[in-house]
Amino acid sequence: MVKEHNILISSVGGQGGITLSRVIANAAMIQGLNIRVGETLGMAQRGGAVQSHVRLGEDAHGSIIPSGGADVLLALEPSEAARVSKYLGSQTRVIINTAPTYPIPVMLGQAAYPSLDEITGALEAIGCEIFVVDASRIARETEAPRSLNIAVLGAYMALSEAVLTEDTVKESLRKTLPARYLEQNLRAYEGGRQALAI
Amino acid sequence: MLDEEGSHKLLMGNEAVARGAIEAGVHVAVGYPGTPSTEVIETLSRYAEQAGMHVEWAVNEKVAFDIGAGVSYGGARCLVTMKSAGLNVASDSIVSVAYGDLVGGLVIYVADDPGLHAGMEEEDSRVFAALSLLPMLDVSDSQESKDAVVKAFEYSEQHSVPVIVRSTSRVAHGKSPVETGPIQKVPRKPHLARDISVFTRASPVWCKQQHTRLIEKTKALVPSVETDFNRLKMKKGQRHGVVASGVSWNYLMDALSRHGVDVATLKIGSVNPLPVNQLRELIGQVDRLLAVEELEPYIELRIKAMVADTDRKVKVLGKQDGTLPSVGEYDYDLVEEAVLKLTGGEKRCDDELAARQAEASSLAPRRSLPFCPGCPHRGSYIALNQAIKELGYKQDEVIVTGDIGCTILGMHPPFNSCWNEVSMGASIGVTIGLKQAGVENPVVATIGDSTFFHAGMPPAVNAAWGDTPVVIAVLDNEITGMTGHQPNPASGYNALRKPVPRIKIEEILGAAGIKKIKVVDPFDLEESKEAFKEALQHDGPSAIVLRRMCALVARRQRLTGPPSHVDGEKCTGCLHCVRTLSCPAMEIREGKMEINQNTCEGCGLCAQICPFQAIEGGDQ
Repeated sequence: MVKEHNILISSVGGQGGITLSRVIANAAMIQGLNIRVGETLGMAQRGGAVQSHVRLGEDAHGSIIPSGGADVLLALEPSEAARVSKYLGSQTRVIINTAPTYPIPVMLGQAAYPSLDEITGALEAIGCEIFVVDASRIARETEAPRSLNIAVLGAYMALSEAVLTEDTVKESLRKTLPARYLEQNLRAYEGGRQALAI
Repeated sequence: MLDEEGSHKLLMGNEAVARGAIEAGVHVAVGYPGTPSTEVIETLSRYAEQAGMHVEWAVNEKVAFDIGAGVSYGGARCLVTMKSAGLNVASDSIVSVAYGDLVGGLVIYVADDPGLHAGMEEEDSRVFAALSLLPMLDVSDSQESKDAVVKAFEYSEQHSVPVIVRSTSRVAHGKSPVETGPIQKVPRKPHLARDISVFTRASPVWCKQQHTRLIEKTKALVPSVETDFNRLKMKKGQRHGVVASGVSWNYLMDALSRHGVDVATLKIGSVNPLPVNQLRELIGQVDRLLAVEELEPYIELRIKAMVADTDRKVKVLGKQDGTLPSVGEYDYDLVEEAVLKLTGGEKRCDDELAARQAEASSLAPRRSLPFCPGCPHRGSYIALNQAIKELGYKQDEVIVTGDIGCTILGMHPPFNSCWNEVSMGASIGVTIGLKQAGVENPVVATIGDSTFFHAGMPPAVNAAWGDTPVVIAVLDNEITGMTGHQPNPASGYNALRKPVPRIKIEEILGAAGIKKIKVVDPFDLEESKEAFKEALQHDGPSAIVLRRMCALVARRQRLTGPPSHVDGEKCTGCLHCVRTLSCPAMEIREGKMEINQNTCEGCGLCAQICPFQAIEGGDQ
């Protein structure tokens, strides 16, 4: 029985962070786990920072993860991993997609954007274990250009301590996502899984 | 959504409210979109036909509630939905209907936004329970959201009074498991009997009687709410107690299970009436009591009043002694700290970890909200700014009032157009006031189509009536955009996506008495700029309707043009386009602008402003 497993998904609007949380939560539902999902909608389509808290297990009551309490962070964009550091601790395993989405002031040289090394360094200082994945490239190479979120899910499932089973996650992919994109998503999932498979 | 009794579903709070309406056999559901309440009507509109329910969007919350009152008087059950700001709009009617009787059950669902995830004010609608004297339930997860709606209809019919179900962003947009109940078939009743002593407020004698009865109706609910929505868990000898409501209850449960703290708890699920017997029992035993509730100290003050009525000394911790804040949303950490303060425990603080977390988060760049690629409002604001400039004004010499919705994003760089934001429709009234105050330069109101229908029509009449020289710019993207594309009278279809005739804003403005009106395409910068220049120089009220479908809707309907292209030979890398338009489809590679072919909607604005004609696009 799962007591408490806290998954935080951090993304930029349009990357599919909310969809990823739906896939994970539905998989947990199929597995019969207690679930709390905390997210705020509204900015999801508009390029803002988007966070989804997915809490699984009997001891999950509130829909927001206690600070320092994330077991896993799935960051669909590198700087978005840094943004949610409040929720990270020495037990957190972090999967970071390496492809940045630059805000316009950064493109114009009016604001700074951290290097991947700066980000991973800062997270390592917290004690997190970091797994870097070029999910955007995996999505392109598996001909699933909009599925970087599912590639990150595949990478998460390659971690040996994933709470969800492969079968329920695949069933959730079938139930949650439009049927016409299922093949693409399964390819992206497999690509992500292999990227972190030992 | 139509599953039979006993199935287990993972539902968003708002979806659970929709399921509650289906279980309660609601005949009509009506609302105005407003984050975080919108998904109730959206969900119901998808199942309306199967569920045999009539579902519609109203033009504003007052109209929605008036329709709800009519449904009730007509003998049927009605759910009315809105966000907290919408409750203000509907309040005139709600306070009045509260005094009379009902026929069919009438439930108002209102969602507040502590933490300001959707912007606007952190208004605490619970205070409206005290103002309107209406019963109000306060929910903390999806199961409670569904159950509260079903019960609220029972209460409403038993006591002939509207009942409010109040939620907050974290509950309304959070997801948790729901066990479904039976779907009731509720027969319609005969409509109201004519009785003006109950259904009008016309006489002070009647009104006093109605007022007295309203107080009695709500008070009569105490035994029901104490069984249905409030839970007291207290053992003999417990000296510490916690009272919690809404989403905070869940954080309290997290804190108690993590720390194994031994305290009495009272879960408050009804704001009005409060579970006064359970509160009295709790106050009669504990010495220290913590009140955990987001926003205003609503329950805390009532507890203090009740303590004052006893001869016991009970220390009440909450907002007034600074244990918890009134601003922002609560989370686990705030509640944990408050609980430990109550019990004399010490919160284990790892300052070094906190410093490292803060250092890491400081690396993240700010992400402001730009207009979407292909958004017609981008063209509208560029045209307005160009017109102001070409007439010889500086941008800070022409006041442009903003309004609610996507159009307000014109306040951000690089547009810097809007000067203020008040409430739905206020942009127009404020410009009239600016003129009456003696502002000599032209003033411009910018307002979206849905906002115009909501509360922009009366001030447009006012501008015409007073012959006040204001420019009303309606940025008509034919949809209610910010809340996720709900139809409005400009859309040409209704909540069920059935085609209906479009209501043209220029015809309303003309009927309102505004003589100078122009309809333009905001993707045509020259045409839009000229229209603004004419209007800005006009000595009476004028209006421009800038009409072009929302890019996200157009994309879904495959109506957007082919993506634009940059000619790398001609592009000098001046980045005038990026600076002027701030379009998310633009990328900079090796000093030159490139257009993301997946996200560009081909609006052609960049092609129109490029000083070197290096961009091709806009052929739609």
